[in-house]
Parts: sequence; C-alpha cells; structure tokens
Amino acid sequence: MDPQLLKQFMHEGKMPNFSRLASQGSFRLLTTSIPPQSPVAWSNLITGMNAGGHGIFDFIHRDPKTLEPYFSTSRVEGPKHAIHLGNWVIPLGRGTAEQLRKGQAFWEILDQHGVSNSVFRIPANFPPVPAKGETLSGMGTPDLRGTYGTFSFYTDEPAAEAGAVEGGQIIPVQVENSQVKANLIGPDNTFRKGSPAANEPFLVTIDPLESVARIAVQRQEFVVQEGEWSNWIRVEFQLFPFFSNVKGICRFYLKQAHPRFQLYVSPINIDPADPALPISTPSSYSRLLSEEAGEFYTQGIAEDTKALSAGVLDDNQYLAQARTVLAEHRRIFDAEFPKFRQGVFFFYFSSLDLNSHMFWRLMDPKHPGYDAALAVQNSSAIAEFYQQIDQVLGEVLPKLDDHTTLLVLSDHGFAPYYRSFNLNTWLLNNGYIKLKNDASLDSSEPWANVDWSQTRAYGLGLNGLYINMRGRERDGIVQPGAATNALIKEIEEKLLSVKDPQAGLPVITRVDVAGEVYQGPYSHSGPDILVGYNRGYRAGWKTILGAFPPEVLEDNMNPWSGDHCMDYTLVPGVLLSNRKITAETPALTDIAPTILAEFGIAKAKDMIGQSVFQSNRTVHQSLR
Amino acid sequence: MFGSYKVKIEGGLLDKVKQCADVGGYGSVHEFVVHVLEKEIKRVLPPDEGGSTSRELVKKRLQGLGYIE
Repeated sequence: MDPQLLKQFMHEGKMPNFSRLASQGSFRLLTTSIPPQSPVAWSNLITGMNAGGHGIFDFIHRDPKTLEPYFSTSRVEGPKHAIHLGNWVIPLGRGTAEQLRKGQAFWEILDQHGVSNSVFRIPANFPPVPAKGETLSGMGTPDLRGTYGTFSFYTDEPAAEAGAVEGGQIIPVQVENSQVKANLIGPDNTFRKGSPAANEPFLVTIDPLESVARIAVQRQEFVVQEGEWSNWIRVEFQLFPFFSNVKGICRFYLKQAHPRFQLYVSPINIDPADPALPISTPSSYSRLLSEEAGEFYTQGIAEDTKALSAGVLDDNQYLAQARTVLAEHRRIFDAEFPKFRQGVFFFYFSSLDLNSHMFWRLMDPKHPGYDAALAVQNSSAIAEFYQQIDQVLGEVLPKLDDHTTLLVLSDHGFAPYYRSFNLNTWLLNNGYIKLKNDASLDSSEPWANVDWSQTRAYGLGLNGLYINMRGRERDGIVQPGAATNALIKEIEEKLLSVKDPQAGLPVITRVDVAGEVYQGPYSHSGPDILVGYNRGYRAGWKTILGAFPPEVLEDNMNPWSGDHCMDYTLVPGVLLSNRKITAETPALTDIAPTILAEFGIAKAKDMIGQSVFQSNRTVHQSLR
Repeated sequence: MFGSYKVKIEGGLLDKVKQCADVGGYGSVHEFVVHVLEKEIKRVLPPDEGGSTSRELVKKRLQGLGYIE
C-alpha cells in the first residue's frame, strides 16, 4: 500500500474505513528497509533487525566464490545421495527446504512467553519457522516444480515457438479429430536418470461447434467454456511406480477453443491438503484450512504477472485471475479472523503489491507503456483492489474492543517504473568491468566474456553493487580496506551524477554503503553499495543477473510498470493504528518491538527498533 | 529398452525434408532429421552441464517472482 495513493483514494471517498481509522487513530509514513525490497522489508518487520542482523539484502544473493545467484530467503534441495539402477535413481533420504533468514521471528518470542498467535502468508517465511501457533507460508513459497511460478500454455498456433518464456512454458499441440493430447509438467523426477520432469497426460475434447471443451485429467473430467477458469484440479505425479508420488493442484483457463486452440494452465501449486513441502505449522494446518475454506494458491506469488508480461493472458484475463487470488485470501481471512480471541492475529494481502506492479501503466499517461484504449477499461484496477482492502478493514473495525490494538501496514510504497538503468552496462562503460581481450560483448549472457582479473565492481540483484574484493570474490582484485573504501566513494559520486538525457532527471538519488547503514553480524555479507534509484527508475530487467544490454538507459515497456526497488526514502510504506502512534518516523524495524511491548515483553537485544507507542523514543535508524 | 524410436514422415512433408537434406548437404534424410531435432532440443531444453546450467535454472526459478525477464 502506497501512502500517496491511499491519501488520494481516501480524499476521493473510496476508502471510508481507512479514513475513519486515520482520523480516529493514527496514520504515519512507515520507513521501509534498505533496500526497499519485500524479502528485506518483511525480514526487518519479522525480526526487528535490518539486513545486517537477518542477512537478507535482496531477492537475489550470490556465492562470492562462484558468483552464482540464488534466491535469498530459502533453499530447496533434493536428496544428496542416491543409488543408480538402470534408468532409475533411488534417492537416499529426502530433500530439504531451508529457511535462510537469520534471527528470531516475533511470533517465536511470543510463543516463548505463552502468547497465542496466528500468522498468515507473511512473506519471507518459507519454510515456516517452527511455531506453536498456526502459520501459513507466503512469498517465497515455490510451486511444485521448485520455481516461483511456471505456467504452461498449450496451443496449436503454427507460429508458437516451443520452449521456455519468462515464468512459463509454451507447448505446441495438435488438434486431431477435435482432441488434444498433452502432458501436465510436474516436478523434476529425481528417481530417473537425468531428472526429467514428471508428466501426467490429459485429454481435451473440443466441441466442434461450440466454444467449449471437456478436459480429462487422471480420473477427473470437467467442462470449461472459452474465457472460463476451471476450479482447482488435483493432480498426482508418479515419480516411482507404487512407491513415491507428489500431489499438486492447478487451474485451467480455456483462452480460445476455435479457430486456434489456446489453453493456459496455472503453475502446479503445492496441494495444501497433502503438501509436498512444508507450508504451514502445524504441518496438518494447511489441510484443515483447505477443508474449511476450500483449495487455494499456495505458491508465494499467486498473481500470474508473468503470463501477463508474456502476453499469454491479457489485462482482463490476468485481472480475473488476480481477483480470484484476493477472493481466496478473503475467504481464508473470513474463516480465520472470527476465531481470533486473544494474542496476535496477522494476515497479509498481496493484491495491492502485485497489481500496482502490473497496472501503474494504465493510470499514468506519462508511462511509456500507457495505452489510452486499455486505460478506458482498467485505469481504475489499482483503486478497485484498494477498495477491496478497505472492505476487509470494514469487517475488522467493528470487532475491535478497547483492549485490542490494530496495526495496518505495508512494507513499502510504490512509484512508477518508467525507465531501466542497466547498472552492469554502466559499470562496463565506465571501466569498472573489463572484458577479455578481443571479446565481443554478448548482451544477453550473464557475465559473458568478463575478465575478472581486471574487473573492480559488478552489480547483482535489484539494488546491489559489489566490489570484486580480494580474499572474498573468487577472482577478487581490490584490496579490502582503504582501496575498497576509495573505490566505493568514487563509484558513489559517479552514480549520483548520472542524469537521464531524456528527462534531465538524476537517475540515482541515494547511495548507501553497507558498512554505514547495517548493524549486526551479516553487515558485510551482502552488497557493498545499495543503489537507490529515483522515482521512475529501476535496475534493468537483464542487468539484475549480470547481462549487458547495449543501452545504459531504456524505456520500460513491460506491463510490470510500477515498482519500489528504489531510493528507500522515496517509497515509504504506511502505518495506521486505532491507537495514537507517538513515533514521528516509525520504521519496519519498530513493528516487532511494538508487538512484543503490547504484551509486556521486552524486545530482544539485537532488535534495533522500539514500540511506536512509546513516548521516550530515540532516533534509531542509521541515516547518513 | 534403450532402443530407437521410429517416426513416419510421408507425402509432401517427406518431399520437403528430402529437399532440405539435399540443399543443406546432409548425407541422408536421417542425418538431417537428427540434426534438426538436436538443434531444437538444444534451444528448448536447458543445457545439460556446465557453469551456465545453474544460472539458467536459477533464472527459470526466479522469473516467477516477476522481477526478471
């Protein structure tokens, strides 16, 4: 939730419940994390520490010895040992899912003090930390293939090219006698040599006259009309006959029956009724919840933004899917909130975040992706989701008594994403990255032809810039200490002077040095420099993993048109409460101490914030 | 168990395949078909080994987050 948009919608009378809460209680800007990315921000909230304490600096981290990137908050690994029998590989033991965030979650401390709690879909909690209460993992939870969402799109379009697209897979099929035979693609089967993906066949029978199809998957049959979504369909992937299988759920969307066949299948989600990986505490809770509230998306980011970006779903088709996600969340909320009697109840709604990413372009005529014709239909899409969240607040407010504290907050705000800054191209052009002699620039391959023996700095992740430091990086050349500090200073000054020739605006408005803004044992484990982009700018799509697009600056034409991975002072979140907040500039790191203080529990010694209701607050943030 | 798989190509498609094999200088239709399949497999599937495998897999996994193209 963005404070500027919230104020605008409140002013327009679209958010009556938020207006009431703001006028009767408090409404503050909430200082977000450095950098303002969700895994970092939610880890700040969860632990009361910043990245130096919890060790999450970005969506993407790198191994300094190999420069291989990995997702920062969790690691899912298959079994390490196996026996090979012909084409079969028998794994010894089970795979693991490991939580990489350090530090105690606030609800672990509540557990230790006997305070009951329920925590739903909080990001950066996969696999969920052991807890006495009911928790359900959120952002960071993979789909059944171990990705953060891979859709499938089956079509007989002659021009369709088979293979992977961003966040999905295009699968050409043939329509023969009004039937399509295809496979659902499941997880990699580690029981088979080479670990090919497990498949389950399905059959589509298309009505030759009507725009409708019957789909048969395993023992289930259902009918979908063109433009219609199926309910959740259970699928079981057999990995080793009679011995091992995994269960998932997916939804089908018949985009077109005639003249061309187009069928979208959602990422195969972990089945909450029989989860293949841990997604809740207690482990049986996701099953009980699905029995009570129905099946639901279990993958961390349920809104299929990539299907919209890839053009597989259009705006209206994506919106229908995004509305279903919110409807599921509201159904779970409506099932669980009435049970709340005491302790802490936390619930996360993802809709404002994901849909602000996707629909900024339709409410902002200055956006390069603005389309007046599309805007006529969906310029109010973001406002619509805000209004739904206002309705949720409307359900909560009448239930509050004088002894209950309500906190409504967001981890960051939002801004337009007009232009991409290709940090690694800029580093290359400015001599900080060197290519091997006579090597040509391969713009698409990460780190292609980079001569690490002459490279002094590189960018990885959405805001991270690393010094190629001797003794830390595999081929590090910059001496730690004075040489590193001088290089950081030099790069900082140059970055702050970069101007966009098109708009005449500074591209980067803030540069933070890790050693100056982080506290805790992991302060030097992440990027050395945090690049804070101006509103309207963000790290380019391909620079994030180390590629070199030819231009340093380029228009962002992706439907993903709003963002927040910028200068953290420009994208604060919101904090509202039914009580008077005494803190003038509360921060995410204050939330865990605030919750603990409400139950008379002292904050942990490594927490850097304090209760937002305390009157004797001191400024705790390391602001330069 | 690990043997070959026969695919029937006939009619106009077979004529065109023969033509392409000739124009391309392939020794036989079989050689041409195998080469085309290998090329297509290389394009569609991630590479089997090497340093880029891990990055490709990571990229594929991370794309669902929305922040990577």
